[in-house]
Amino acid sequence: MTFTVRARADAIATFRFISVSLMETLARWVPTTPELEVKVLFGRHLWELAQHADAFGRRTAELRLGPQVSRDPAPGFLAFLTTLRATTETAGRIAKFYDGALSRLESLYRDYLTRTDGLLDEPSVRILERALSDLTRLRHEAAEVRRERPEIGTVERSPDGTEPSPSLDAVVQFRSEQVGAESSPA
Amino acid sequence: MTGNGFRTKLVRGVPLVEDPAREACFTCVDLEREMEEWPDMSDRSRRERLHRHMNNECGALEIAAQALVDFPDVPWELRLRLARQAADEARHTAGLLQRVRELGGHKGEFPVMNFEWGLATLLPSMAGRLAVQNRTFEAGLIDLLGSLQHTWREAGDTRTAELLDAILADEIVHVRFGNQWIRRLTEADARVLLQVAHAVRTLGHTVRALATEGDVNRSGFIMGTKPPPAVNVHGRLEAEFTEEEVKEVLRQAGFRAILPHHLGTAG
Repeated sequence: MTFTVRARADAIATFRFISVSLMETLARWVPTTPELEVKVLFGRHLWELAQHADAFGRRTAELRLGPQVSRDPAPGFLAFLTTLRATTETAGRIAKFYDGALSRLESLYRDYLTRTDGLLDEPSVRILERALSDLTRLRHEAAEVRRERPEIGTVERSPDGTEPSPSLDAVVQFRSEQVGAESSPA
Repeated sequence: MTGNGFRTKLVRGVPLVEDPAREACFTCVDLEREMEEWPDMSDRSRRERLHRHMNNECGALEIAAQALVDFPDVPWELRLRLARQAADEARHTAGLLQRVRELGGHKGEFPVMNFEWGLATLLPSMAGRLAVQNRTFEAGLIDLLGSLQHTWREAGDTRTAELLDAILADEIVHVRFGNQWIRRLTEADARVLLQVAHAVRTLGHTVRALATEGDVNRSGFIMGTKPPPAVNVHGRLEAEFTEEEVKEVLRQAGFRAILPHHLGTAG
């Protein structure tokens, strides 16, 4: 059993929503973060999130949902994104974004990859694999800035980052049956 | 307070949005006369030029990022362009900071001014910001970089000249998409022209109010005595200004231009 086309579309459109939201969060933080190296980091990385959102948006069209369609995540994850956005201290922003939000995103993408059909949904798989590679690089680059500015990097790890990541079912609001009769080829 | 939640300040009677966040090592000033600037290419002058440019690129990053926050409903393709612009300006900032350090300078060595941020983020429309930030400020940078890279090369600093050339290539892209999107937005809704006109009026009014000609800056340099950079005709045409628009800029600049061969005696 595998995801239906509609369920794939729901998930990819939710990933798009989250990517746009994270892009906007970094954009919001750029003028209000004093440290130049961190400002630059956020500025470079918001473009990465924008590219992910764009790729997901192209895929939503292929999945018959329309181009660049976003779907709200479940209320709990929406609240997490809202709280993240309201963070004001630089150390907290870095910790919550790179340790908290991006690790959750990686977990969601991996969850999707284990559950979708790798052949029938190969375009989504490729997008997510590239996104995962990007997210790893983003976290490494954030770590480099923490090393360069140790007074920022010494902040305690965000509590959000130590909580278990939510499952795909807890984040995506599926609007139809998640699984259909399609099955992986033998 | 502006619509996006930033406070405003009055400078010589005109409102500007308060400075974006800067580290304590920076001294932010409001007027050109409070800046330091030297007309030569001494070591100190080189560091100041790069330091000033670094802060200006940082301001461009902040303006592009803030547009993503302030205008969530503009077409996605435009938001994607703005996100790319933010990343480009971030890279420019990082490259210039690195060069400042290589020349023995450091963040906060000289005063900085955030005029472009103060004006651009005051404007309430996307088209207005594109008109002022991309089509005016960044187009001015095309002119400036067209001249400056030669200045640095002649001074024997090929590395900085190459850095400025790379920045110029990106800025042309930013101006081009600004021109393209103003056209697209205007074609979709002619009232956008009113927003552009309002932005250009605001720019003119503000620049006149803050004009510093005759003032002496902190370095003893008399403001307004340095000639404006030559118009980079080739760069502006690449950025999709029309020939008529370029000729108008040439006329205003008294025909000091880096002329492309195919235009001959433009104007």
